[in-house]
Amino acid sequence: MSVLGRTTLKWGLLVVAAIGALFVGQFLAPAGSVTAQVFDALLTTSYASAVLRVSVPIGFAALGGIFAEKSGVINIGIEGFLVLSALSSVVAFHGLAEAGVGTTAALWTAFLAGILVSVAAAAVFAVFVIRYEADQVIAGLAIWLISLGVAPFVSLVLFESVNSPSVETFGTWRIPLLADIPGIGPVLFDASPMVYLLLVATPVSWYVLRHTRLGRRIRASGENPRALDTAGVSVSRTRYVGVLLSGVLCGIGGAGFTLGQLGRFVGAGQTSIDGRGFLGIVAYLFGNYNPITSLGGALLFASFDSLQLRLQQISELDVPSALFGVLPFIVVIVVLTLIGGTRLPAALGQHYDDEE
Amino acid sequence: MTSVWDRLERLFDALLGLSASERILLSLAAVVAAIVVGMGIILAAGSMAACSSPKLVVFGVQFCYDPIEVYTVLIGGAFGNSYNVAATLQRTTLLLCTGLSFAIAYKGGLFNIGAQGQFVLGSLATTVVVLALAPLAPTGVAGGALLVSAGVLAGCVVGGLYGLLPGFLKVQYDTNEVITTLLLNFIATAVAFVLVDRYFNDETVQGTATESIPDVATLDPRVFPQGSEFSLPVFVLALVVVGLFFYLLTRTTIGYDIQSVGTQPKAAAFGGVSERFTTLFSMTLAGVIAGLGGAIFILMVLGRWQSGAPSVGFDGIAVSILAGNNPIGLIPAGLLFGALDSGSQAIEFQLDVPGELIGVLQGLIILFVATPELFRMLGSHLDRRGTVDLRNEGADR
Repeated sequence: MSVLGRTTLKWGLLVVAAIGALFVGQFLAPAGSVTAQVFDALLTTSYASAVLRVSVPIGFAALGGIFAEKSGVINIGIEGFLVLSALSSVVAFHGLAEAGVGTTAALWTAFLAGILVSVAAAAVFAVFVIRYEADQVIAGLAIWLISLGVAPFVSLVLFESVNSPSVETFGTWRIPLLADIPGIGPVLFDASPMVYLLLVATPVSWYVLRHTRLGRRIRASGENPRALDTAGVSVSRTRYVGVLLSGVLCGIGGAGFTLGQLGRFVGAGQTSIDGRGFLGIVAYLFGNYNPITSLGGALLFASFDSLQLRLQQISELDVPSALFGVLPFIVVIVVLTLIGGTRLPAALGQHYDDEE
Repeated sequence: MTSVWDRLERLFDALLGLSASERILLSLAAVVAAIVVGMGIILAAGSMAACSSPKLVVFGVQFCYDPIEVYTVLIGGAFGNSYNVAATLQRTTLLLCTGLSFAIAYKGGLFNIGAQGQFVLGSLATTVVVLALAPLAPTGVAGGALLVSAGVLAGCVVGGLYGLLPGFLKVQYDTNEVITTLLLNFIATAVAFVLVDRYFNDETVQGTATESIPDVATLDPRVFPQGSEFSLPVFVLALVVVGLFFYLLTRTTIGYDIQSVGTQPKAAAFGGVSERFTTLFSMTLAGVIAGLGGAIFILMVLGRWQSGAPSVGFDGIAVSILAGNNPIGLIPAGLLFGALDSGSQAIEFQLDVPGELIGVLQGLIILFVATPELFRMLGSHLDRRGTVDLRNEGADR
């Protein structure tokens, strides 16, 4: 069995064991005790729905990161792309709503606008790191810092506050019949269109990377750019494609989070994106650059993020909410420590000059 | 004719190591490029903003902000009077600490994105220790000296331990320090907030804050006017620390080991340098110096711990990168970012231009500094067209 197959099996078994433990725990815990309350809060369809919803920005950030890194470009700027698309989707929605465009049309157009802005930012980043050979980690950090400044700045200029006013959200799309299946129906088939998009984009990304010519080129560009060059394919162009796809996916993540879930942009502190892009990066490290297992990582972090919200509601648990808020980050560090070093693409972070 | 530039170049190279002059040129070019792009952003934002009396009207387009005016006010706000200079130097002092924190790790081939968390926890440790010792300490100068040194020690130790943690995870479990140090910032902020909220909160003030430390433990303004929260001796001390680090890196064995692990890990391993030890050492030192910044922040600036620390940890990364991670280069770079920070308040109050603009400007500077190739290409392009003859002026004639 391949290494990847074994990893998948290992994590799959772990997840099944965890869910099994939840059921057994709920059965064993005395009714009304804090433990029982925790289990009750977790074994609900609303918790499962929340996990899926919360995993949207993390999952798309992870997919975006995979395409950039597989092509050989370290992309620490993911968080910045999410911030930019989150803000621009809100700005676009406001402009369209004020112009009298209907809600549904405005939502989808604003969603596209968010993606476009993210792609534009990715294009700038790509030119800097590919054409002008900028240090990838530092340039990525710069993209993040610039976005942390630009987004509240633009919000202040347009809305006179770093936080935007509220906007409509996509709501949920109920798929008839399937949504009536007990248990998984309300979770999987009465969800936000952004959740469906993530559940489709993940296998598609896997297929593209694994079985298409583009995917093979992207992987070669990150593993052995010289071979790709020798085969007559431009490494730079392949990397541009990788980074731009990263921009598209991160744009979906940022705009999808804002228009699909939160309904506004918060510019204070770390903005409403609040580290989700970084969680995305850890999700693909966790998933070893495989889109499917990375979605597993995204779901894991999302489950802890939703968990902390629910734990806050159990009054007997006298733990400050701020500590619950960092629970996902602590889990990330523990998980990263446990999985150890990930095998990175061999040419990651290295510049390559095409021999023309 | 040997130009002044050539002589300067040799001086810089002798002082700072090879190609330092090129770095200085690149950093200057990056700052200029960021200022120019910043102008574009100010104009673009000004065309979107709504205002009653536009500053500029070009071809019927109204611009609410005038870039020249923004930069003028920025400079005035940073250096206009002694209070402003004190604010600039105060910020510079803190940035020197967090900048050094990034630089020392970077020299060892590591990214310490965690100076912010080390700073926050260090400042909390300083506050708690000073508050705890205050009732026991003798009065007068002796008590002050005791409290200040205990506070500084506490800040350095806690900062150092918080830097050691990701270093340990790195050497023991091969955990990527870019991610861990970054996430540890979020965790430090939350942990410090909760600790203060639960155990050290001063109920008489709004928000989450500790009691104020006693006056004997505060570092009073020297040379600069009362109320400026800046003490010149502390700045001098920070410069001495910078000098010590320069000495450590260039003149000691451990400094040499750190640099060799950072630049040539394989050769270093072959030469018997322990990568584990240098990683642990440089990460701990990075934490210590960021914690020192936190101690200075409490003892000299704020006088108590309160939520919402300034983002000197993240800005320190920018300062260090601008300085080419060279300790001596940190001084002008720290001064520039200190000036940007203190000037940002002036543009906000006097011009109603959001101070967040400065964050954008700082990010742009890093982006351009990370991209030396851009300026090299630009330089050789201009060279070929014969319009600019930057470095070969002396040689050609």
